[in-house]
Amino acid sequence: MTTIITDAALYRLLAWLSPSYPVGGYSYSHGLEWAVEQGLVCDRAGLVEWIRGILARGSGRIDGVLFAAAWRATQAGDSAALDALVELASAWRGTAETALESRAQGAAFLVVTRSAWPNARLDALADRHKGLVTLPVAVGAASAVHAVPLPAALSAYLAAFAANLVSAGVRLIPLGQTDGQAAVAALEPAVGSAAAAGLVADLDALGTATPMVDWCSMRHETQYTRLFRS
Amino acid sequence: MFAATLLYEVPQDIQAIGLSPTLERGDGAIEFGFVRKDGRTSLARLYQRTPCRALFPNTPPEDCLQAVLVTTSGGLAGGDRIAIAVAAGHETAVTVTTQAAEKIYRSLGPHCAIDVSLAVADKAWLEWLPQETILFEEARLVRRSEADVAAGGRLLAAEMLVFGRLARGERFTTGLLHDGWRVRRDGRLIWADDLRLDGDVAAALLAPGGFAGAEAVGSVLYVADDAAALLACARELSAKTAARAGATLVNGVLVVRWLGTAPDVRAALTQYLAAFRHAAAGWPAQLPRVWSA
Repeated sequence: MTTIITDAALYRLLAWLSPSYPVGGYSYSHGLEWAVEQGLVCDRAGLVEWIRGILARGSGRIDGVLFAAAWRATQAGDSAALDALVELASAWRGTAETALESRAQGAAFLVVTRSAWPNARLDALADRHKGLVTLPVAVGAASAVHAVPLPAALSAYLAAFAANLVSAGVRLIPLGQTDGQAAVAALEPAVGSAAAAGLVADLDALGTATPMVDWCSMRHETQYTRLFRS
Repeated sequence: MFAATLLYEVPQDIQAIGLSPTLERGDGAIEFGFVRKDGRTSLARLYQRTPCRALFPNTPPEDCLQAVLVTTSGGLAGGDRIAIAVAAGHETAVTVTTQAAEKIYRSLGPHCAIDVSLAVADKAWLEWLPQETILFEEARLVRRSEADVAAGGRLLAAEMLVFGRLARGERFTTGLLHDGWRVRRDGRLIWADDLRLDGDVAAALLAPGGFAGAEAVGSVLYVADDAAALLACARELSAKTAARAGATLVNGVLVVRWLGTAPDVRAALTQYLAAFRHAAAGWPAQLPRVWSA
């Protein structure tokens, strides 16, 4: 996929989706902590396969579509459609901790972004749905109000999501930093496919097929020793 | 074992209708409306259209009223549609189950569609406990379940999917499954879940983060004001199995799932439902007799 992007839009994406953007991304593993504990993921190849599944058939898949839908509703100024998406995205979480992961990061993203890049439309969105705006909807809406084109924004969002999971894997398995980046490189086609699918998918024909990821997230709630919040 | 006729008064104008004109494909429907009358739950409304029929077995006085759904065609093929609607009125207590496993036959053309609509009023208890759905190889099923639970109402809903006719050594490796749930509480969407298998189904069923080779998946939702208070109980009751079990609470919806062999998942689900209905509402710790037939 080829995307044309202005320097300003690229700059914003790099800032918002950097691991140092203060939304606390480093503290969520999306259930990976239990998967590693159980020996389901124990090396780089296993980590890549696990994350590839999440991008193709798990929350990466639906978040890509929710992101695109939020971008389009915001761009069109359709707040009723955006409100319905906020509600759907917030309900469409399989476990307590994946819901926390998405909402807490969404809320933090809106606080930081509204402060550093003030915008009345983002203020209105945050005020209407206190604490319920999930991360893909928040970043999708921010990209639209700040003139970041959808294809680039969505690719960057999913790349950051995958890289964050790799980072959790690097700490949990553990893997060396270079091995981690090899995993990021190996996931490039999967991120590209997920972004392309997110642009064209229909919400009615959308679903997930990753019950093992949900199972890990459920069991993580009672995991005895844990580093991560999800 | 069953009283095959209606035990409850049904108004004449909405009396069950007979066979609809012969259709190329099935287009079945059933609608139940339950109300509280003379201090007990009674059926106020029943509409049924072939191949859907309802039976009302005698239930012990200490248990809730039972309705058993029968699909007289024995299974669903491509193009078949079934619409099921259950409305549990104020202060009613009802269990709706199915007489047998639902078989979804191979289809090389259109999918079959099952639409389920559950409405639970204030102070009502509704159990939606269909037996397992068996997906034949190349089956195509789109099932959409919607539940609207009023504040003060309680819903216990179960679901089990089996991937193939396992006794014949058959696995569901290609076809379509879309199993969607939307749960609303006082009109607000609180739970959305869509399990979707299409394209390379075999790969998704084998993937470590997918089904990791599980033959079956079972799920139970509990939507009620006291769902959070029952999470610890659900964790304990669901874990007594060889299947992988997990429990969680999302937006006040208590969700339990199992992944494993079909017999393990069925045993876990059955045992859990029996124990949970007793723990949550004091009903006898047993399931409708059709479950053990």
